[in-house]
Amino acid sequence: MNIYLAALLKVVGVLAFVLGNAFILIWAERKISGYMQRRYGPLRVGGPAGLLQSAADILKLMAKEDFVPGGADLWLWWLAPAVALVPAVLVYLVLPIGRSFVLQNLSIGLVFFASVTSFTLIGIFMAGWGSNNKYSLLGAMRAGAQLFSYEIPLILSTIGVVMLTGSLTLQRIVAAQANVWFVVPQIVGFLVFYVASLAELNRTPFDLAEAESELIAGYFTEYSGIRWAMFAVAEYSNLFTTSALAVTLFLGGWRPLPLLAFIPGWVWFVLKTYVLVFVGIWIRWTLPRVRIDQLMDLGWKFLFPVSVANVLVTALVLAVR
Amino acid sequence: MEAQGGAPAVVERDGRRLMKINMGPQHPSTHGVLRLIVTLDGEVVVGVEPDIGFLHRNFEKIVEGWSYPGIVPFSDRNDYLGAITNEVAVCLAIERLAQIEVPPRAVYLRVLFCELQRILSHILFYGTFGLDLGAFSPFMYAFREREWGYTLMEKATGARMLYAYNRIGGLRNDLPDEWFADLEKFLVFMERQAWPEYMGLLIENEIFRERTIGVGKLTPEQAIAWGASGPVLRSTGVAWDLRKAAPYLGYERFEFDVPVGKNGDTYDSAMVRMLEIKESIRIIRQVLKMLPDGPVLARVRPNLRPRAGEYYSRVESPRGEVGVYLVSDGSARPYRLKWRAPSFCHLQLVPAMGGGGKVADLIAAVGSLDVIMGEVDR
Amino acid sequence: MALWDRVWQTGKSMVVGHAITMREMLHKPVTVRYPEEKPPFERGSRSVPVLKVNEESGRLNCVSCGLCERACPPSCIEITQAMDEKGRKKPWPETFQLDLSHCMVCNLCVEACPFDALEMADVVELGSYQVQDLILQKGQLAEIWKTSRALRVAGGERL
Repeated sequence: MNIYLAALLKVVGVLAFVLGNAFILIWAERKISGYMQRRYGPLRVGGPAGLLQSAADILKLMAKEDFVPGGADLWLWWLAPAVALVPAVLVYLVLPIGRSFVLQNLSIGLVFFASVTSFTLIGIFMAGWGSNNKYSLLGAMRAGAQLFSYEIPLILSTIGVVMLTGSLTLQRIVAAQANVWFVVPQIVGFLVFYVASLAELNRTPFDLAEAESELIAGYFTEYSGIRWAMFAVAEYSNLFTTSALAVTLFLGGWRPLPLLAFIPGWVWFVLKTYVLVFVGIWIRWTLPRVRIDQLMDLGWKFLFPVSVANVLVTALVLAVR
Repeated sequence: MEAQGGAPAVVERDGRRLMKINMGPQHPSTHGVLRLIVTLDGEVVVGVEPDIGFLHRNFEKIVEGWSYPGIVPFSDRNDYLGAITNEVAVCLAIERLAQIEVPPRAVYLRVLFCELQRILSHILFYGTFGLDLGAFSPFMYAFREREWGYTLMEKATGARMLYAYNRIGGLRNDLPDEWFADLEKFLVFMERQAWPEYMGLLIENEIFRERTIGVGKLTPEQAIAWGASGPVLRSTGVAWDLRKAAPYLGYERFEFDVPVGKNGDTYDSAMVRMLEIKESIRIIRQVLKMLPDGPVLARVRPNLRPRAGEYYSRVESPRGEVGVYLVSDGSARPYRLKWRAPSFCHLQLVPAMGGGGKVADLIAAVGSLDVIMGEVDR
Repeated sequence: MALWDRVWQTGKSMVVGHAITMREMLHKPVTVRYPEEKPPFERGSRSVPVLKVNEESGRLNCVSCGLCERACPPSCIEITQAMDEKGRKKPWPETFQLDLSHCMVCNLCVEACPFDALEMADVVELGSYQVQDLILQKGQLAEIWKTSRALRVAGGERL
């Protein structure tokens, strides 16, 4: 009984965090982008800072008609948002939030993370195909090519860290960064990881799958109401978890900065993650979008060789030492 | 897949399965109500057909029933981002036919407003072109300066966008002295802060360069053959500017350069516009130095009847050659007024520029033409 | 090496771009929060032509001469002359209506009026859900004139 209760608590906790996080991130993105563009962003709902804007948005979306386009492939159409959302929630399982604060310390944590996040692609593809809309289809095709290609540099760039640690367990990787964060020896890996993760997250400059000025909204052009909200929540949840993985692998996870160790680990973890999320938002509101062939060039001709070279150099240094 | 409504979503051609896709008239980056019927082979654009007419207002026929003074404010609505240049084009034609002498102060002020309008239009081009390429912030920064410029316009003319400021025989009202100080502040800001910021944020950005260099290429021959003018023609390397080639409003009195591109791609056309902002600032400075005193409006009979005849006046609008072909039969209403809109000619270039590229290149090509649908459909 | 050059160029332009957005972020927003704070009207801004009321007699300046009606390019002004019982014309308008949905705010009617009876108001919040509400009668036009912070310089200046 206790096991089930604990499991239930974990599930509810994660879901609550996912929703709350999406609330905060959507609000933060709108607010930050506003100030970056000399605007205010949301102002009116929930006090002068528009704090409850996301809540109002969710309420509005729930009240909306669940519109199904004519000729849609119903099963794919209905399932797609769920398929996109489930992996986004699932990855919280292995995130090491604090020294002993991790839902399930899997021995294959990193592999689990990589494999679960690649499910998002299937959700996107189902949405694009099921919508019976040519823009959605184009967006889904782009997303397919893009997510598939960037998975490879993303994983290769983490291998350096794995080699330095000798473990796939995320908790061990954090433990191994006691002296120096892996961002120092693995700076190349970190940069490749960050660029590839932006592509995985479908964010500008790699937001080709939903390129507004070309494909209206890409794969979720036809979605409205709560299904659209599920995509949005999944997107922001992924933004958080991918940044969290970057923090875990390269920025010392929950490890505090020296002299500030009295602040608990999970605060550090969330803080570092939000810093990376901020950088992602900053990039999004600064850069224009790349083109699909340039994206492929960057992925296969630059990031892939660089990440392979990074692995080789790391191996060489480890062998010499 | 079968599209709703009967039209086949997929067409077969030369053994390839091609997809027909409708861009517009409701699409984020078709600049109003342009409709492009695009044939796609995957991501590659095989064919583009522009479809126009969604903003038709019957300008040319309606003004045949109007007396001359009313045509000027209506012409604002054609190219609503270059309202002053439209007014000037109409006024030049009518004044020529009615043999009205415009006071020198009004001529200089018209030059000033044409150039200010050019700056504002090019600022908006910068913003929307960034938006077409997926960068949102440049758009907002562009609007910041644009709002400032429009406030200047409002102080001078009483309206922000559709000024109705030119009258046959000059301008409606003179300007207060403090307006010139405000203008100078705006010019300094544009020069010192906004322009370098535009360059740093978007034009010199490596992703922007990748997206635009070599995209939507035009040869000078193509551009001339399709009747291109303005920055689009100049981006191909043809130094054709009506302010130099056929000076009106005494443009020969001012010193300025005509920026030209080399490759005729979208990058050059954006760059030409950016440099034109600088040249316009230069011209405005000279106008402010040379501005004579005096009245701004000549005496004109209320019931104006130009002599019978015809005249084609053309001015360099922010988008290219705006031409007004006016035929008068000696009555109080024009016999015929034909409007030559640069955007209309530029739209013909879309298949040449966008064909063969990716979908994203097509968007960049249409964006770089800076078409105003109000002018195309009239 | 070409590759290094490109990487360097890319990196440099990225840093410049991000520095610009960050610099902008540290400045105050320029947005005017519209319903709460309204941007000032410039002297001479104009929205719609309205009827002036004589301050002393409280009557309209308009004598119903019809010049504005003829000057209006889209013909949005309609005037009928006031008559007394004997059918003689009276120097004020029986009806004066302005179709806002057609008006293009060109100021030509104001310039045509020799009696100083029309003026451009600076009231812009005239929107309505019904097209019929956009047809303003003389009483409404005089009301708007009273609420307008009569600018009377560039826009309303007689030429």
